[in-house]
Amino acid sequence: MSFVHPWLLLGAVGALLPLLVHLFDRRRPKPRPFAAIAFVLRSHRRTTSRLRLKRLLLYTLRTLLLLAVPVALARPQLLRPGAAGTRTSGPAATAVVVDRSLGMRFRDSESLFERARDEAREALAALLPEEPVTLVPCGPDVESPAAPGFDRARLRQAIDRMQPSYGGADLNRCLGLAAKALEDSPLPGKRLVVISAFTAASLRLESPPPRVKVGDTLVQPEIILRDVAHAEALPNHFLLDVKAEPAPQLGPRMVQVTFTARNVAPGGANEVPAALELAGRPVAKAFLALAPGGTAQKSLSARAEAGGAVSGAVVLQPDALAEDDRRDFVVQVPQELRVLVVDGAPSSVRYRDEAFFYEAALTAPGSPARPTLRDAEAGWREKLTDYDVVALLNVPAPAPEAAARLKAFVEAGGGLLISMGDQVETDSWNQRLGALLPRPLRLVKSAGATGETALRPARLGDVAWEHPLFLPFTDRAREGLLAARFSKYMLVEAGQRSGETAEVLAAFDDGAPALLLARRGKGRVLLFTSTVDRDWSDFAIRTSFLPLVQRSAAYLAGGLDEHERMEGHIGQTLVLRPEVPGAVAEVRSPSGGKVPLRPEADGSLRVGPFSEPGIYRPLDAAGGPALSPFAVVLEAAQSDLTRVKPEALAAYFGEEAVKGPAGAAETRVPLWTWLLAAAALVFFLEGTLLRRS
Amino acid sequence: MALLDAVTIAKLAGVKVRARAVMEGVLSGLHKSPHQGQSVEFAEHKEYAPGDELRHLDWKAYAKFDRFYVKRFEHETDLRAVLVVDASGSMGYRSGTLSKLEVATTLAGALSYLLVRQQDAAGLSVLGGNGWSDIPPRSAAGHLMALLEALEQLEPKGSTQLHDAADHLAERLPRRAMVVVFSDLFDDAPDALRRLLQLRARKHDVAIFQILDPAELEFPFDDPTLFLSMEDDRRLEVNAREIRESYLEEVGNFLAQTKALCAEADVDYQLVRTDEPLDAVLLQFLSRRQGRRR
Repeated sequence: MSFVHPWLLLGAVGALLPLLVHLFDRRRPKPRPFAAIAFVLRSHRRTTSRLRLKRLLLYTLRTLLLLAVPVALARPQLLRPGAAGTRTSGPAATAVVVDRSLGMRFRDSESLFERARDEAREALAALLPEEPVTLVPCGPDVESPAAPGFDRARLRQAIDRMQPSYGGADLNRCLGLAAKALEDSPLPGKRLVVISAFTAASLRLESPPPRVKVGDTLVQPEIILRDVAHAEALPNHFLLDVKAEPAPQLGPRMVQVTFTARNVAPGGANEVPAALELAGRPVAKAFLALAPGGTAQKSLSARAEAGGAVSGAVVLQPDALAEDDRRDFVVQVPQELRVLVVDGAPSSVRYRDEAFFYEAALTAPGSPARPTLRDAEAGWREKLTDYDVVALLNVPAPAPEAAARLKAFVEAGGGLLISMGDQVETDSWNQRLGALLPRPLRLVKSAGATGETALRPARLGDVAWEHPLFLPFTDRAREGLLAARFSKYMLVEAGQRSGETAEVLAAFDDGAPALLLARRGKGRVLLFTSTVDRDWSDFAIRTSFLPLVQRSAAYLAGGLDEHERMEGHIGQTLVLRPEVPGAVAEVRSPSGGKVPLRPEADGSLRVGPFSEPGIYRPLDAAGGPALSPFAVVLEAAQSDLTRVKPEALAAYFGEEAVKGPAGAAETRVPLWTWLLAAAALVFFLEGTLLRRS
Repeated sequence: MALLDAVTIAKLAGVKVRARAVMEGVLSGLHKSPHQGQSVEFAEHKEYAPGDELRHLDWKAYAKFDRFYVKRFEHETDLRAVLVVDASGSMGYRSGTLSKLEVATTLAGALSYLLVRQQDAAGLSVLGGNGWSDIPPRSAAGHLMALLEALEQLEPKGSTQLHDAADHLAERLPRRAMVVVFSDLFDDAPDALRRLLQLRARKHDVAIFQILDPAELEFPFDDPTLFLSMEDDRRLEVNAREIRESYLEEVGNFLAQTKALCAEADVDYQLVRTDEPLDAVLLQFLSRRQGRRR
C-alpha cells in the first residue's frame, strides 16, 4: 500500500484525542442532594456493565473516525503487483532497466530511486524460477549488461548497491543494450522491465523502440513499464545558469554573480529564497518569483575575503529535487598585486619621470596593482619577497649581491618587468642579470623620432594576439596598439641560449623583438625593449598602454592565464593545461575521490568524466594546489522533469505495455473512498450510540 | 373553582394559612360537587329523648312502631382520624417551589381543618429522624391550632422508617380509626409498605398520599452529577443522561408496585406531585372517599 500524500498521515496523531480527553478531562461533577438516590444507585448498578461497554464502543468509534479521516486524506492506494511472468505463454528472458538519472533523486516521502529499487526487487521476485534475468543500471556511464542468468542473489546485491547518478540517463540506449543482452538467451520469450519516472529528458520518442533479434528477425519484446512517479507530476525548480565574474567597478575584490532559475512546476512559486555563498559562507540573499514554466534572473554581488580563485555557490530553497537547487562556481578575483617600481630616471618634473606613466597606469581605477615607487638605490634595498612583481624601469645594472637576490626572487615565483632607457648599459646588464634576461642585450637602435622624415619610427608588427597578455586587444584596440611609434629600442641577441626558452610576444615591424617573455624557475620575466615613458616612444600616451601595463603586471604575478572560465559538466571531461608539465598529480572530487586523469599528446591533461557536481581541486604531488579549482555543474536539461504523457508512452512502447493487465507493473486501487465511507458509517454509529444515551 | 397551584401556595407563609386556603378551596369545590349533602344523609335511628331536634323525628317510624325515633345523620358519627406525616430527610427535597414536606404538611393541615370543622377527632403522628411525636385525636376546636402548630414546626431529617410506623400506629390505635399517611414511601426496607398496609387488616381505614417531586418522576438531569443522599452518606458520581432510562424504569416499577399493593390491601392511594394544585388533590381524595362510602 502507498500514499499519495503521506505527510497527511501526521493527522492520525489526532486519533489520540479521545484517549487524551479521557485521561485529562478534569471537569468536576455538579453535586446534587437527591431524595430518590436509591433508584439512582439501583439504576447505576444495572447499567454499569452496559455503560462501560458503550463507552468502550464510543471510544473505539471516535478513535477510528479520527484515524480514518487523515488516512483517507493521505489517499492510500493498494498496490497489486502485476505478475511479470504471466503474460507470455512460456518463460521469458528478462532485462530489468533501472533509470539512474538525476531526476530519480526527486524525493517526496521517499526518493523515486528508492521506489525504483523496490520495484526492481519486486520485478525479480515476480519472475518464474526458470526465467533468466539481467540488470541494466541506466545512467550516464551505462555499460553493456551481462547475459541473462539465474543468479538472483547477485542481482539483488547489485540492486542494493545501485545509486542514482547526477547525470542523465539515455533510456533508448539502455533499452538497446538490454535488448542486445536478451539476444544471448536461447529462450524464445523476451521481456524488458523498464523502471523509470519517464521524464522527457530521459526518453527520446523519435528513436525506434527496442527490438530483439531472434533468429534472423527482429521482434518486439514484451515491455513492462513501472512508473515510479505513479503518474503524478514532478514539480521542480532549478538553477539554469550561474555566471560569476569580478566586478572591480563595484570595489576591490567585488564579485558579481548573475543566475537564472527555471520553474517546471505547473504552479508558480513566489518569494523563492536564493542565497549566494562565497568560500562556504552565505554573503547575499534574494527572492525570486517563478511563474509556472517560467524563468527568472537575478544578480547578486559581494566582496570576496581574498583574491585569487574563490569558490562559491548559488543556492535556491531546496525542493523535492534539491540537487539542482545548488550550483557551484569558481571566480577569479583579481588579487591585489604588490608591485615594486624601481625608477631608474626619476625627475622632479613629473611627466618626465621614468615611472610617471607606468605608475599612473597601475593606480588607475579597477587596477588590481598597488605600486610602491623607489629610485634605483632605494629599490635594491627593498625586501623583494614582500612584492609580487618588480618593475625595473630604465635602471642601471644592480650590484652582484642585488642581482643575486633578484634572481632568487624570480626563481621563487616572482615576476620581473624590465624596460629599457638611457640608464641601461648592455654590458653590465648582460654580465650581472644575463641569467634573468630572456635574451642578452645588444645595442640601442634608433628608428627616428616622430616627425623626422629620414628615419621612420618603428611600429609593432608581429604580435602574439592569442597570448593572454593581448587577449583583450581586438579590432580597434589592436589598431591602438599597432599605432604606437617607437624611435629607439634595444636590440637583443638572436637565437636561444641552450636550455633556456624565450618567447617573443611582440616584435617591431623590422622584426626586432619588442616584448620578450622568459620563464626562470617558477617566475616570469618580461623584457620590453623600449621605454615606458615618452623618451623612446609615444606608447606611454596611447590608449593601449594602460591595459597592457595592468595585464602584464597581472600576468607576471601568475593571475592572468587563469581568468578563462573553467567549468565541467556531469558525465563529461575537461582539459587542464598546466604551465609546467607534470605539475598536476591528481584531481580530487568534492567528496574527496580521485578523478580519472589522462595525459594528452600536447602536454595537457584530460580529467573526468565527472560523476558529482561541486568544486574539483587539481593537486600537485605534495598535495598542494597545482591549479585553480574548477566547478562541475549539472546539465540543466536533466532538471526538466516534465513527464512523457501516457498516450505518448503507449504510442511508443505499444498500448499493452502501458495499460495491459499484465503489462502494467501494478494496479493501484484507491482506498480512500472506502475509508471515507467507513468514516461516515462510524460517524453514524457514534451518533446513534450517543442518541441512545 | 379556582384551584390553588403550587406557586400560589408557596407564596402563603406558614402551614396555617396554606392549610386554610386549601381547605377553603376544597369547600368551594364541595359546594359545586354533585355529591353535595351526602355528608348529612341518614345513618341510623335513635329513640327520642328530651332535647333532641323535633325536626329529626321520623314520623313514618312512629306510624309503624308507635314509638318516637329521631334520625341520626352520618356527620354525627364519631370519626377518629390520625394524620401520619413523614418528616424524614428525603421529604425535604424540592426542585420547584414547594418541598415534599411542605406539601405534606399543607395537605395534612387542610384535612385537619375539614375534620375538626365537622367535629371529628383529628390527631397527628410525625415520622421523623428523632423518632415519633404524636398528638392524640381530639375534636375540640382548640385542638386544631395545636395540630397546625405542630405541623408548622416540622423539619426534614433522619431516615424513612415506614415499618416502625406500622408497629407504632398499631399500638396507639386500639379503636378503628382513619389513618392518612403523607410520605414519599422511600424506605429501603423490603416489606416496609406491606407492614404499613397491615393496618388495614386491623380494620383501620388507611389512605396514602405518596408525595413526589417532579424531578424524582422525570429525572431531568443531563450532565455528570454527584448525587448525594439526603438521609445518609450515600453518594454516586454518574452521567445522569446515561442512567435516565434505567432510573425511570425503576421509579415506574416502584410506583406500579406501590399502587398494586395498596389496591390489594384496599387502601386508598393517591400520588401527589408537588407541582399540582393541592385543593384539587384533596377534592379528588374526598370525592373518592364519598364514592367508596356509597
